[in-house]
Amino acid sequence: MKFFVRRTGFFLATLWAAVTLNFLIPRLEPGDPAEALLSRLTSRTEAVDPAQLAAVRKLLGAPDGNLLQQYWEYLAALANGHFGVSYTYYPYSVTDVISEAMPWTLVLVGVTQIFSFVVGTALGAWAAYRRNTRTDSLITLGSTFLGTLPFFWIGLLLIFVFAITLNWFPEGGGYGGGSQPGWTWLFFSDAFQHSVLPALSLLITGPIGWILGMRNNMVQTLGEDYARLARAKGLPRRRIALTYGARIAILPNVTGFAIALGSILGGTVLVESIFNYPGMGRLLLEAVSNKDFPLMQTLFLFTTIGVLIANFLADMAYGLLDPRVRRKDAT
Amino acid sequence: MTLLQVEDLSVTYRPRDSAAVRAVNKVSFTVGHGEFVGLLGESGCGKSTLGHAVLRLLEKPASITGGTITFDGRDVTRLGEDELRPMRWTNLSTVFQSSMNSLNPVITVREQFADTLAAHPDIAGERVDVDERAGELLELVSLDRGVLRRYPHELSGGMKQRVALALALVLRPRFVLLDEPTTGLDVVVQRDILDRLRELQRSLGFAVLFISHDLGTVMEMADRVMVMYAGEIVEDQPAADMVAGQLHPYSVGLLGSYADPRDAVVDVAFTPGRPPDLSREHPGCLFEPRCPVSVDACRTKHPELLPARRGRARCLLVEVAPDGSARTPNASPRDRSGTVFSADAAARNRGPADGEPILVVEGVTKTYRTQRALGSTTTTAVDDVSFALRPGRVSALVGESGSGKSTLARLVTGVEKPGRGSIRFKDTRVDRLRRRALRGYRRHAQLVFQDPFSALNPTRTVAYALSRPLRNHLGMDGAQARRRAAELLEVVGLSPAAQFLDKLPGQLSGGQRQRVVIARALAPEPEVLVADEPISMLDVSIRAEILELLDQLVRDRGIAMLYITHDLLSARLLADEVMVLNKGVIVERGPTLKVIGEAQDPYTRRLLAAIPRPGQERAPAMAGRSDGAGQTQSLGRPPHGD
Amino acid sequence: MTTPGGTPVAAPAAAGDTEGVGIAALDAGRTHRMPGWFVILWRNGKCRLGLLLLAAFVLVAVLAPYIAPFGPRVDAFATSQGPTGAHWLGTTAQGEDVYSQIVYGARTSLLVGVVAGTLSTLIAMAVGLTAGYLQGFVDEVLSFFVNLGLVVPVLPLMITLAAYAPVKGLGLIIVVITVTGWAHGARIKRAQIITLRTRDYVTAAKFAGDSTARIITHEIAPNMMSLIVVGFMSSALGAIGAEAGLAFLGLGDPQTTSWGTMLNQASLGGAMTTGQWAWVVAPGLILALLVTSFTLINFGVDALSNPHLRED
Repeated sequence: MKFFVRRTGFFLATLWAAVTLNFLIPRLEPGDPAEALLSRLTSRTEAVDPAQLAAVRKLLGAPDGNLLQQYWEYLAALANGHFGVSYTYYPYSVTDVISEAMPWTLVLVGVTQIFSFVVGTALGAWAAYRRNTRTDSLITLGSTFLGTLPFFWIGLLLIFVFAITLNWFPEGGGYGGGSQPGWTWLFFSDAFQHSVLPALSLLITGPIGWILGMRNNMVQTLGEDYARLARAKGLPRRRIALTYGARIAILPNVTGFAIALGSILGGTVLVESIFNYPGMGRLLLEAVSNKDFPLMQTLFLFTTIGVLIANFLADMAYGLLDPRVRRKDAT
Repeated sequence: MTLLQVEDLSVTYRPRDSAAVRAVNKVSFTVGHGEFVGLLGESGCGKSTLGHAVLRLLEKPASITGGTITFDGRDVTRLGEDELRPMRWTNLSTVFQSSMNSLNPVITVREQFADTLAAHPDIAGERVDVDERAGELLELVSLDRGVLRRYPHELSGGMKQRVALALALVLRPRFVLLDEPTTGLDVVVQRDILDRLRELQRSLGFAVLFISHDLGTVMEMADRVMVMYAGEIVEDQPAADMVAGQLHPYSVGLLGSYADPRDAVVDVAFTPGRPPDLSREHPGCLFEPRCPVSVDACRTKHPELLPARRGRARCLLVEVAPDGSARTPNASPRDRSGTVFSADAAARNRGPADGEPILVVEGVTKTYRTQRALGSTTTTAVDDVSFALRPGRVSALVGESGSGKSTLARLVTGVEKPGRGSIRFKDTRVDRLRRRALRGYRRHAQLVFQDPFSALNPTRTVAYALSRPLRNHLGMDGAQARRRAAELLEVVGLSPAAQFLDKLPGQLSGGQRQRVVIARALAPEPEVLVADEPISMLDVSIRAEILELLDQLVRDRGIAMLYITHDLLSARLLADEVMVLNKGVIVERGPTLKVIGEAQDPYTRRLLAAIPRPGQERAPAMAGRSDGAGQTQSLGRPPHGD
Repeated sequence: MTTPGGTPVAAPAAAGDTEGVGIAALDAGRTHRMPGWFVILWRNGKCRLGLLLLAAFVLVAVLAPYIAPFGPRVDAFATSQGPTGAHWLGTTAQGEDVYSQIVYGARTSLLVGVVAGTLSTLIAMAVGLTAGYLQGFVDEVLSFFVNLGLVVPVLPLMITLAAYAPVKGLGLIIVVITVTGWAHGARIKRAQIITLRTRDYVTAAKFAGDSTARIITHEIAPNMMSLIVVGFMSSALGAIGAEAGLAFLGLGDPQTTSWGTMLNQASLGGAMTTGQWAWVVAPGLILALLVTSFTLINFGVDALSNPHLRED
């Protein structure tokens, strides 16, 4: 139980830290981004809802009140779900804009990462199972080589070859001009067409970390006394590989998955930028180039919270998978 | 009837980045049906490698490079994994060294039995009741059936070892290889498991190859004993014959390092030196550099393993002897086994027993709190312990792991603070020292560590290690410290010192390292020395060497020593006074001879009973010395007076 | 367990035990003029190739003005040309020589790699060693920050930080990369020191009267050399990748020529639609080659610190 309590505690603490970090970043900068933004916002539009203005102030640092007071108001705004108005997409609220982009990213990242993890772990286990054979070197060296390629560059090449030269897939975007988002067959097939290349650029390099990690872990577990004893017991090779090798070697990969999520999301920013994909990553870049601070801040906050939640879930899964953690204080 | 026949077996390690090592060299032996054969050897002699080769479990970079292994008439040397699989466990099973790690950590004990049974349906039966079969075996090794539902990490070391033993027997194999099956366990637990093992072996009738460095145990358990040195078998005799008279000088040295602490006179021999580097060719006998009786021919001619008496031996001296027993039995033990460290019935003539104490421990109690999910539990490691250390005297603190003896070492040296009670060094309250004052105290009280491989920084030279206390505690400069370091090396017998000053610990043998550790402890000229199991990690053949050194230091320098050990023999050899610690409480104390000879407390008696006594039927622990005829004959001078 | 004769019956060291490397390095250093760790790396074939490659990159970076035919910002040529004799890799949409930019780009990547790699290694060491050695409350606090640093999505954080910054320069990029990239190394070093600090030789040093600082620098650090080298390599690698990524997104220093900015320019300048494959392919390939040299070197370091991998 202690494990779960500790991990929950860590989750809450990191959540708080992320929220606070988000509060501090704009205030650490010289000048007053809120003031600058407010002036630009008011000069551009005729009628700004005062309530929304107040929300922006709370998010970005109102000129009035001390830091503690500002922090308190900021927390209150967050608790009420007031994240402010997007400057770029005025008058839409930040949450509206983000909720439109979120499904795109979730589907793209979710599908490709789960696929990468499964395929990578399986390939790594296979390489360890056939260690020191040609299969092993093919898998290991192949993935090491692919791993050296910058994956945003792979994205560029994919566009170059499959979109521009061969014209098999669209160059970018989330869906074509002909279809509109909705629960229609046309839209889904179109969205799929558009997602093939972005997904591919994530999938080419995605499994590599898992392959190498799993292989090294499993080569190690297969060298342990228990695996050797399993051989002495005359267990079938498959049983040894799965229960005495892979089953134990996969545990660090599960935690690894949780930790890697942060950088995976970073990768999506690049991919979405290359393919002009309408997800949160492109939104973030857009917000940056337009100095849309509320949108940027909220995106950062949401991504962090998303990663933290995924991390928490992976931790729980780890606790369930590893009896050493689960039952530590049961004895 | 021969069950296992090994002929000219060689195993070579070919690591990628260093020279090839012939770990096992042309080894031949047989094991008969139901026979219990011991394989005795010290660390690095190749005994475990030989075991793995017999089981056909060698992995890269080790491989069989010659010879054959025949099991029950079938040559298994070159069988593929698929052909071996049906034979494994049904014919040959094993218990590994340190079973701490030989159970799969993520599945239950039951599952590890179940998969074994499922892998051999022809023997186990198609529809075997796992709970019934495994439960039965667990009961055989004195475990509760409930253990089946446990995960390995929930079991203690002794329990895991029993599970491993039960698992080895689940398919009723005809041959079981036991590789140091009880090393690392407390003596009483060891005793228990070994007794049970011998019973089971007799009733179930399987053959055993028992690999161990623990001479007493091997001698007591096995029908026949093989001694291995530097990758070769050097001697092979029925256990009783070997106890009565060893053929090879190395065996003489090994057996000489064992004695019964209850004897009036305890002689313990040691064999200085270290095993040869097996990555090089040696023309002569591999033991020659350490051999106390070698002749010129030993340096150039490699001896063969030839029949001698009722066994075999690999020694030129045995070879040339007309009666096949060489001149060795005629020579006195002192001639044959290099050096002897002995303790007789008289009290050691060192410091006076009623001298002014230099360190006084009074009513010391230490409790630890461990956090649990619901509240916390406290364990009392040391409970109301009092004793005093006097100059020139050795007080031994004897107990098993968990008895609190190491906690006491930490308390006395100021590493930890007691919960209650006081520790006084002269006029200083050690239990109240902090930081700078504590550093000052350590000029006077030093510690000798258990593991010489961990006690020296592998990246720092001997000179560096010795210079630190000299510079910090005695304020010497670099040149002075180096001169003094050289003197210290001479004091601990590492001579000429110039040869050792700039060596890294990795270039020294275990015994040499321990000497450096002792030299470092001596550097600030301490008045109190705490030695925490200083010989338990060393090879048996050199243990007495270190004891003799410690004795010498106490004698020459009038140091007050707290000697911490689990081993009554070494306490008998070194200490003036013994305190037996059980669960944090001193249960028995007094002059060494009295405590060991006339043990009153049941716990002390159990510790004594757990000491293996080769060549004798085991008797319950008793007061007074035992009368091992064969043993005294070969091990020591005739006892002169009780 | 212990094998005084160096016989290989028992496994020499537990996995991840870096002490063995320290000794091996000292041994090797005694017989050669070079530092020991270098001798060991050099003996490994893959690693030697990696070191040679890296040396070539360093050479190119240092001698860039002599190797490159033109300055990286000289835009005096015909725009958007394919590879020709005068411009081996063609020209950019602004009429700059692509090959010269590649040559100068090596400077940026190596500079970022070395500086950010060194800085994050230093932070990682300070945090990891302190947390691991002191333990207790200090450890709890520092570990929390390490774990936080591990889970925060790095690139979004970098982007956010970079976006707020008033000045955009290479210095900023390096700071941002360092701030976001030290956590992983700190975690590994903390774990390592926790196993090392319980060694008897550390206690022995206390008994010898050494101070905590001296124990960390003289007793523990030498036994972590390989870990520190590996840590530096991976942070340097991470920094090079991050710089390329940020520059590709257009968040880099517009005044500096780097392979990332080149890809960004190529993407914006329509290199793909005009069929200028060299402009797109070259920066990516050269970046991959630099990463390859690091990976090859890591093979050598890894194999040393992990005996299980060594035997393969």
